[in-house]
Formats: sequence, structure tokens, C-alpha cells
Amino acid sequence: MAVVKGLQSEIFVPITPPPVWTHVTKELKDMNIALVTAAGVHRKSDERFNLSGDFTFREIPDTSPSSELMVSHGGYDNADVNKDINCMFPIDRLHELAEEGFIKSIAPVHIGFMGGGGNQEKFEKETGPKIAEVLKEEGVDAVLMTAG
Amino acid sequence: MIVQREIEDAGIPTIIIAALPPVVRQSGTPRAVAPLVPMGANAGAPNDAEMQYNICRDALINLVEIDSAGKIVTLPYEYIAKV
Repeated sequence: MAVVKGLQSEIFVPITPPPVWTHVTKELKDMNIALVTAAGVHRKSDERFNLSGDFTFREIPDTSPSSELMVSHGGYDNADVNKDINCMFPIDRLHELAEEGFIKSIAPVHIGFMGGGGNQEKFEKETGPKIAEVLKEEGVDAVLMTAG
Repeated sequence: MIVQREIEDAGIPTIIIAALPPVVRQSGTPRAVAPLVPMGANAGAPNDAEMQYNICRDALINLVEIDSAGKIVTLPYEYIAKV
């Protein structure tokens, strides 16, 4: 697309937002890692997400067995993740990486929410910063995400 | 990706395992890896612990190695779902 100053397109086009970046300062073997997923993962005992749009999130304790987790998400085929939650929430694999010392530790709480739609402004102004706060409080060094 | 950006903006480095690289590029991901998987099995095929492990490990390696915002690294793991 031609970029001319002041030119307004007659067609609506998505605009990529400006870059965000935080430098990595630690080695993996010294990092405390959390999982964050937009795949609608939560504990079976938690309230399910509203499939028509939901900007809330669920805290998932690291001690939750993967067999106690499930997905409620209306935006993708859940067939694979219903067979094995690790397809979108690779918690068992993360435990293996920590046991081997590839990473130092795993955060006590992970985060699940239902991405791919819903109130985008709420996600940006409320949900996103709230999730970041939870992660900061538990001393997370980096986040592994699944979405998109 | 909005949430990834907010976490990154709050000072925590992030990497996303994406099934749809054009979507994460468009929405301004700071760092991403993209195995050849369908949406819904981003971290690998169901009950394929080896593929899932490799994808997670490589994602973490790329968390450290990616040196500029918006880079998406393709990972050499493929899963085609039988629909």
C-alpha cells in the first residue's frame, strides 16, 4: 500500500500497532516462567467463559493436575484440546523443562482467558493490565503464551 | 495479542506460540514462534509429548534469541489434524 502523508484510504485497513518490547535480561536457567493462554483454559471447577464474548480471566494454580483443566471457547475447534489440554496449555511439558533445569521455576499461578474476540477495549485497558499485575506480583521473569 | 502486548508493556518479556502467523504479525506481537499446526493445537499434536516438548523448548529459546520486536520464527514441527 502506498504511504503518502495525509492520504486517507477509502477502504478500512487494519493498522499494526506500534512495537512493544521488554529486554530479556536473564538466562532461561534463571527464569521463573508462567503460562498465559487465550485458548479459554480454566479449571473444571471454575465458571465457564461466556462463548459469545468474555473479557474476564481465570487464575490457574500450577498445582492443578492437567486432568482437572478444560476449555470453554467458542472461536476454534476444541477437538484436539479436549483430547489433551497440553495442545494449548502445555503445563506438563513446562514441568518437564523445569525438572530438567532448562528453566529455573514455574510461577504458582497461570492465566487463561478467551481471546479472539470480545470487548477489545476492555482487554486492552482492564484485562491485560490486570493479568500483568498478577504476573508481576508472583515474580514472573517471562511468559510463554498460546493464541492466534 | 492485545494481552501479550499489555504484559510486555508492563515489563515482562513474552513469546507467543501461534498457529496463524499473519494474525499475530498484524496485531503487533513482540515475539512469536509458529510451528506448522492448526489453531487449537498451537503447542503440538494431542498426546504427542515429544512434539509439545520441542515446541515449548524452542519457543523459550527464541524468547531469548529474538532481537527485535515483531519477529516471527517458524518452527520445524508439523501436525495436520484429521478432520
